[in-house]
Amino acid sequence: MAKLARRGFLKRTTASVATIGVMASVPAALTAITDAPQITETAGTDLSSLSLAEGPLVAHISNIATGEISLLSGTQEIVFRDPDLVMRLLKFMH
Amino acid sequence: MSSHREAPGISKDPVADSTDLYAFVSPDKPDTVTIIANYVPLEEPDGGPNFYEFGNDVLYEINIDNDGDAQPEITYQFRFNTKITNPNTFLYNTGPITSLTSSSWNRRQFYTVTKIVKGHATVVGSGLACPPCNVGVRSTPKYASLASAAITTLSSGETVFAGQRAEGFYVDLGSIFDLGVLRPFQNLHLIHMPATAGVNGTNNLNVHSIALQIPKTSLTKDGSNPTNEADPKSVIGVYTAAYRQKASMHDNEGNQWGVGPWVQVSRLGNPLFNEVIVPMSRKDEWNTEKPSDDAEFAQYVAHPELAGLLPVLYPGVFPNLAVLDKSGAVRADLEAILLTGIPSGIIGGFQNFTGKTLADLLRLNMAIAPSSSPSIYGILGGDLAGFPNGRRVQDDTVAIELRAVAGATYPLVAPSYKPDAAAALLTDGTTPASVNAPYLSSFPYLGTPYDGFDVPS
Repeated sequence: MAKLARRGFLKRTTASVATIGVMASVPAALTAITDAPQITETAGTDLSSLSLAEGPLVAHISNIATGEISLLSGTQEIVFRDPDLVMRLLKFMH
Repeated sequence: MSSHREAPGISKDPVADSTDLYAFVSPDKPDTVTIIANYVPLEEPDGGPNFYEFGNDVLYEINIDNDGDAQPEITYQFRFNTKITNPNTFLYNTGPITSLTSSSWNRRQFYTVTKIVKGHATVVGSGLACPPCNVGVRSTPKYASLASAAITTLSSGETVFAGQRAEGFYVDLGSIFDLGVLRPFQNLHLIHMPATAGVNGTNNLNVHSIALQIPKTSLTKDGSNPTNEADPKSVIGVYTAAYRQKASMHDNEGNQWGVGPWVQVSRLGNPLFNEVIVPMSRKDEWNTEKPSDDAEFAQYVAHPELAGLLPVLYPGVFPNLAVLDKSGAVRADLEAILLTGIPSGIIGGFQNFTGKTLADLLRLNMAIAPSSSPSIYGILGGDLAGFPNGRRVQDDTVAIELRAVAGATYPLVAPSYKPDAAAALLTDGTTPASVNAPYLSSFPYLGTPYDGFDVPS
């Protein structure tokens, strides 16, 4: 996982994740008062609207059983479910 | 303490730990309201070489509700950044710091202020300088003038200051958390000793303050000047909050990043709410919640644990309180003081009611003029300009809340109740005179921070 470049990771995820619910591009200052992101079921894919910020891009597998992943960049968070992707990522841990 | 290290989680994160919140009509500028949010508890003045500062990775907020919905209509956000002047020294300063641009000051902190009004964000100040910490007589001579130079005006008209101040909150920490002892009354305690004077546990310590002085007309929901105390528009509810980003990353070269949305990790409205009302098992959770969700904590206000403890810790001193507590009666007086504000008709010439939404907010009726002879006991002392009508820097909030919990305010909602004689006398024995650094008569009101050379001495 540590060897995955940010763009590369996005390419991989876009192959299997669809209709990612990107939070609206609100000013960073406003994000503190936004509610928790919606969970989006997998289907189609377009992560191009995710505006990547400087700093790390973090993918947090928040629930292995359901395949729930939180994608964090800047002050954005996208939560989606992709059990297949989670299974493939977990292979890197073994 | 008011809210210093009040929850297990935030006690390990001082720069994000809100310690005190003040909101009062400025006594020297009564057309304005001063709000002070303190962070970084219990700063030892000699804490070098890495003296205290705000967290660059923390988002600080001061929130103001002006329409009674317990949601902020006005928010001020503060973000800090640090610049190192000389990368080749371990020192905070390499000579006397005589100005905010002094070349001998090596580690400086700056900040940006963003004002959000009904969802519209505007940067109203950037590159604003914090003063240095008060290192000592050689490093920071003439500190008061140095700090005054850091007071500035935002593009939206407010006066602002962010930096170190002397701790103004006084409390006998050492006694209160030793099984609820109040030294002046410890002869009556279950484990009794001769009564003694109180000891201010926060004396000679500093804190970091974010202070705003805001025209009243910028705070009312319609821009009017609040002059009628009975008008709901005269009342604002205030709370401060601190946020960290959801994830933190560290590499092997000492770099650190925050990533993800901001998550609330600390908040503060009324003093001592999370400290003595919320049980330890829920304190961290409380810090992450919005005030508008405080209904889920209302049970701890309606039936405060402390009201049951006082008759046990002081046998025979609180017989009426013991009966009241055992009756299971809802403490509607405390609900009003802490969660809704006090409605009209309870106290003559006063109200700070913000509606039925239960929320821990510091509520200020801006139409109440500053008192010419303030009482540190605020409304309990007959001074409508003091806590729980907002909170001034000298108000004895420990005594006020102790007395209220002990039943002194219950007759406001149950006139037939007779408080125990001790309820109106409770104090931990500390007063503003227990604070060595004099309070200021003008913005930012909290005293010049103690310097590290002279304190401790």
